[in-house]
Amino acid sequence: MKVLVTVKEVAAVEDEFQIAGTSIDETYLEYDLNEWDDYAVEEAVQLQEAGIADEVVAVTIGPERSEETIRMALAKGADRAVRIWDDALEGADLLDVGAKTAILEKVVEEEDPDIVLSGVQADDDGFGATGVSLADALGYEWAAVVNHLDQDSVESGTASVRRELEGGVEELTDVELPAVLTIQTGINEPRYASLRGIRQAQRKEIAPKTLGDLGLDAAAVENELELTDMYEPETESDATYFEGGPDEAAGQLADLLREKGVGAQ
Amino acid sequence: MDFTLPDEHRMIREEVRRFCDEEIEPIAQEIEDEHRFPEEIFDQLADLDVMGVPISEEYGGLGGDTLMYAVVAEELGRVSGSVALSYVAHTSLASKPIELFGTEAQKERWLTPLASGEYLGGWALTEPSSGSDASDMDTTAEKSEARSASERSGAAAEKDGDEWVLNGTKQFITNANVAGSVLVKAVTDPGEGYGGISTFIVDPEEDDGFEVTTVWDKMGLNASPTCEIKLTDVRVPEDRMLGERGDGWEQTKKTLDGGRISIAAISTGLAQGAYEAAKEYSTEREQFGQPISKFDAIRDKVVDMDRKIERARLLTHKSAWQYDQGQSVTRSSSLAKLDASEAAREVAEEAVQTLGGYGYTEDFSPQRFYRDAKLMEIGEGTSEIQHLVIGRELGL
Ligand SMILES: Cc1cc2nc3c(=O)[nH]c(=O)nc-3n(C[C@H](O)[C@H](O)[C@H](O)COP(=O)(O)OP(=O)(O)OC[C@H]3O[C@@H](n4cnc5c(N)ncnc54)[C@H](O)[C@@H]3O)c2cc1C
Repeated sequence: MKVLVTVKEVAAVEDEFQIAGTSIDETYLEYDLNEWDDYAVEEAVQLQEAGIADEVVAVTIGPERSEETIRMALAKGADRAVRIWDDALEGADLLDVGAKTAILEKVVEEEDPDIVLSGVQADDDGFGATGVSLADALGYEWAAVVNHLDQDSVESGTASVRRELEGGVEELTDVELPAVLTIQTGINEPRYASLRGIRQAQRKEIAPKTLGDLGLDAAAVENELELTDMYEPETESDATYFEGGPDEAAGQLADLLREKGVGAQ
Repeated sequence: MDFTLPDEHRMIREEVRRFCDEEIEPIAQEIEDEHRFPEEIFDQLADLDVMGVPISEEYGGLGGDTLMYAVVAEELGRVSGSVALSYVAHTSLASKPIELFGTEAQKERWLTPLASGEYLGGWALTEPSSGSDASDMDTTAEKSEARSASERSGAAAEKDGDEWVLNGTKQFITNANVAGSVLVKAVTDPGEGYGGISTFIVDPEEDDGFEVTTVWDKMGLNASPTCEIKLTDVRVPEDRMLGERGDGWEQTKKTLDGGRISIAAISTGLAQGAYEAAKEYSTEREQFGQPISKFDAIRDKVVDMDRKIERARLLTHKSAWQYDQGQSVTRSSSLAKLDASEAAREVAEEAVQTLGGYGYTEDFSPQRFYRDAKLMEIGEGTSEIQHLVIGRELGL
């Protein structure tokens, strides 16, 4: 069984940073593997360690710089990686879900995995849509915001998953494979890469591909979105101190929570 | 000339740093307060292949180079001097000599468990009355059949086949009470001077007569056990001698060449940890209506820290690189150790000062770095001895 994991390098800003127009200068940015993807990679590697998956392939859309981050997925156990980049992607300041879907769809067609794991969302642009959009384009089944996967079920061709819904409600669903699962944080405990894993990862393949290699042209990734502005939102903090004994304070807290809508169905 | 770390080293630094920040830093003060050796941390480090970084893969190590090892030691030092010290004593002093001087069988039996992190190791050179003048030791190893041959009085010789009998006291031995093996230096040929010293692999668990008599309470580094050990008629078979009879001192010099790089690396880490704490604090703490980093006096402190750390790290990496090239590192490792240990103490002291009263409390890390840094100017050759070594290298 083959597992494909979509991974992304995301930028995080340092505590102090400056916005210039619609971008933040490189000096304020730190790049890391998207948090959700870290969980997706772990889930895939666990499938492999359980003897259910025999190959784990990581795929990313990103410039050469992102190889360092993607290599961490290889260090944790993915067998190889595919990295798509193209001059046509270089100029875009925001890659929309449609463009990502178009690219990943081609990769999935080439790789033909049994199961695709993606993160629920990416830490930076936070669309939270790529996984499901990809499943739709492929005609695959999907399950979004998965926080438990029954590994044994995967072997039988159906993924039994637990999904996190709004308001603390959870849902158990069976999904026919092939399918896309978008992985929620907390589904597992991502490991540290071992130093041997890191060393071995230096020799694992990260295959670079252009749009042309995938049979796409620049038109396929034309963006509907345009970044028009970037600013730091005003932060508001609102602190309430409750006076009195525990009973009294608890009562006041309950009133406040009710007022804020907590507990309302 | 390329000053950038190779990708592999950078990735290792990043992941080890993440581990250190998440798993070690949160308990770094607690283990000092409790004087507790954090066994669970070393179990995890073993799982991550950290315990044998510069040891060949054939014997359970990672097969990394000295530069990689220095990077890892620095990261450990950045969060906990204790973890770092026990780690480098294990690696540079207890493991590396077996790789360099051991027989095939010795490496399989004694190096593999060390390098794979099954247990820690120790190295026993120093004695109560022999520190800087380390070759002037009193611990003896006598061959069992020697008794009938020599009638020397007071000699603890015994007659019993192919065995060595060790007697003596070793002082300040890191890890001795948690070690699966300790390399003990002993005089096998009195009167032969430097050429009369040999090294023995002692098993603290199995070998009768090995006793930890003291675990010292120290100014810092209290989560790294520093022990006095007493050897009373410890009998070890012939195959526990490391290298040739009389090689002990030459081995010691080579061992300390590498060891000094690791102490320099820890020192750089201690300085880095103290600097980060001071820098962060200086931009957050406000007095007279502005962050204290805006006062020239504080800014200059932080800048000086940066300067000293950069220098310490460059010297350390250069020496590690030379070691990896197979060049002599006596001068460079001594320079690195001398400079980095001083830098660590100075940076940590200024970090305490930068935090003012808070710097003096145990709620903040600079005092810990300050305590820990002081040892780096003492262990594996004091700064005075480093001057002596460098002076000799300069032909003075
Ligand atoms: C925490 C800790 C861990 C240690 N771990 C180990 C270990 O694992 N294994 C091990 O074998 N040892 C270990 N040591 C011992 C350490 O290496 C010695 O303490 C160190 O070498 C100094 O020896 P000493 O304490 O006897 O001091 P001394 O040699 O007595 O020195 C006292 C002072 O005299 C100075 N001095 C001595 N000779 C000269 C000279 N010729 N010229 C100028 N000044 C001189 C010294 O620099 C120092 O300032 C450890 C020590 C500590 C504190």
